[in-house]
Amino acid sequence: MSKMNCQQIEELLPDYLQGALAPARAAEVEQHSEHCTSCAQDIVMWKQLATLPQEKPSTESRERFEAMLHSYVATSPTTAPTHSNARIPQHADAKPAWNFLEWLRSPFGAVAWSAALILFGLLIGTNLRNRTSSEHPDEIASLHAEVTSMRQLVALSMLQQQSASERLQGVSWSTREDHLDPQVQLALMRTLRSDGSVDVRLAALDALSRHAAQPLVRKGVLESLPEQQSPLVQVAMIDQLTEWRDPDAAQRLLKFEQTPNLNPAVKQRAAWAIAKLQESTQ
Amino acid sequence: MLQVRDGEVQMLGVLFDRYQAPLFNFYTKMTQDRTVSEDLVQEVFLRILRYRQTYRPGTTFRTWMYQIARNTRIDQVRKVRSESPLVAEPLAPTHPSDDAERQQEAQLLQRALMQLPEDKREILVLSRFQELKYEEIARLLGCETGAVKVRVHRALQQLREVYLGLENNPAAQAQDPRRATTDSVPPTRRVQ
Repeated sequence: MSKMNCQQIEELLPDYLQGALAPARAAEVEQHSEHCTSCAQDIVMWKQLATLPQEKPSTESRERFEAMLHSYVATSPTTAPTHSNARIPQHADAKPAWNFLEWLRSPFGAVAWSAALILFGLLIGTNLRNRTSSEHPDEIASLHAEVTSMRQLVALSMLQQQSASERLQGVSWSTREDHLDPQVQLALMRTLRSDGSVDVRLAALDALSRHAAQPLVRKGVLESLPEQQSPLVQVAMIDQLTEWRDPDAAQRLLKFEQTPNLNPAVKQRAAWAIAKLQESTQ
Repeated sequence: MLQVRDGEVQMLGVLFDRYQAPLFNFYTKMTQDRTVSEDLVQEVFLRILRYRQTYRPGTTFRTWMYQIARNTRIDQVRKVRSESPLVAEPLAPTHPSDDAERQQEAQLLQRALMQLPEDKREILVLSRFQELKYEEIARLLGCETGAVKVRVHRALQQLREVYLGLENNPAAQAQDPRRATTDSVPPTRRVQ
């Protein structure tokens, strides 16, 4: 058998590693690696990779998947089977796959038509302004109101989406209006309290902090502070409370600081905030 | 998958049972983080549902799924990069029955793997752990099969160098200059 050099072996090695070489060629690689440390080490490394443990997904994984599938089916009517030979019967009165009204009512439809309406509103608004800036104040006001309610609708529907990035967008939609609708405020509070993603919770806090003048907002933040799991969000909340100089904050923070097993960084921040708040009331 | 595409989304459960473990392992090898990996697996299946209309008969489901899995990972890397950097803890050993020496070896190897640039780590994980044939990887990455072979070999060589370096000087891993310049994996957030 002719001696092969490293370069020739290199061409064969990847296939050898996946066991895709004919026996005769594989033997050539093995023969070469007997006296070539570099190639031999590559082979050893490859084999060693197999010693890395196989990780098992947790049992909750399947449950999460089921929940995701369920909510997906519930929110998109177009998932009904379109084949007559469907193996799993869904509903006796299976809806047609494309129902415009149903689609309009779905979150995606809501986002799409509200976007279209906003665009339409804006177009008319700019047109009116260009022609007669103060001729139809009523129409402009009603268009403005329409746009406002559309934005709220978009924010509300996006805050309930599966994906964190869409919920983030929902939060940012809610900040496009200066006035905070009570329904949106409630949704933001709920997001701040129980959203699964730290980013979304932080964004919700930021959105709420624009309306710190409302006592309900301050109260909501103060109340949800002990429920927070993430130190990041807790620290952000403490900072907000300090900034607002809420009269109840110092007392509540004193109590919060005593929570057992509190993250040291959070504890330190709380102590700092208490000092700051007490200083300002004196 | 064709049944799923045509509206029988309940059939996705079958695919989930078959592929969640390989996908989960793909992600744990890539991220060393179980929580992140589980989230990513969920996200992949959500995307499969959402984009099921783009699945074309004739393509292997596995290749298509890994395409989605890679994109999901890329999006996650982008997202985490914009977040504040908190240092990831190494994956805790989940197999206490292994003897200490083997466990240590595996940890060292996992660390070496984490120090490879993202694309090299990925090609090794795909070809070694996911047992994808080079042809499949080539389709996935959009390149020639020959190029995949060359890249696998280069990645393996680099892994060997890093691994030997770590073995000789385990404390040096943090200062490895390669990490600073080419490692594109951001630190993953652990605090929730």
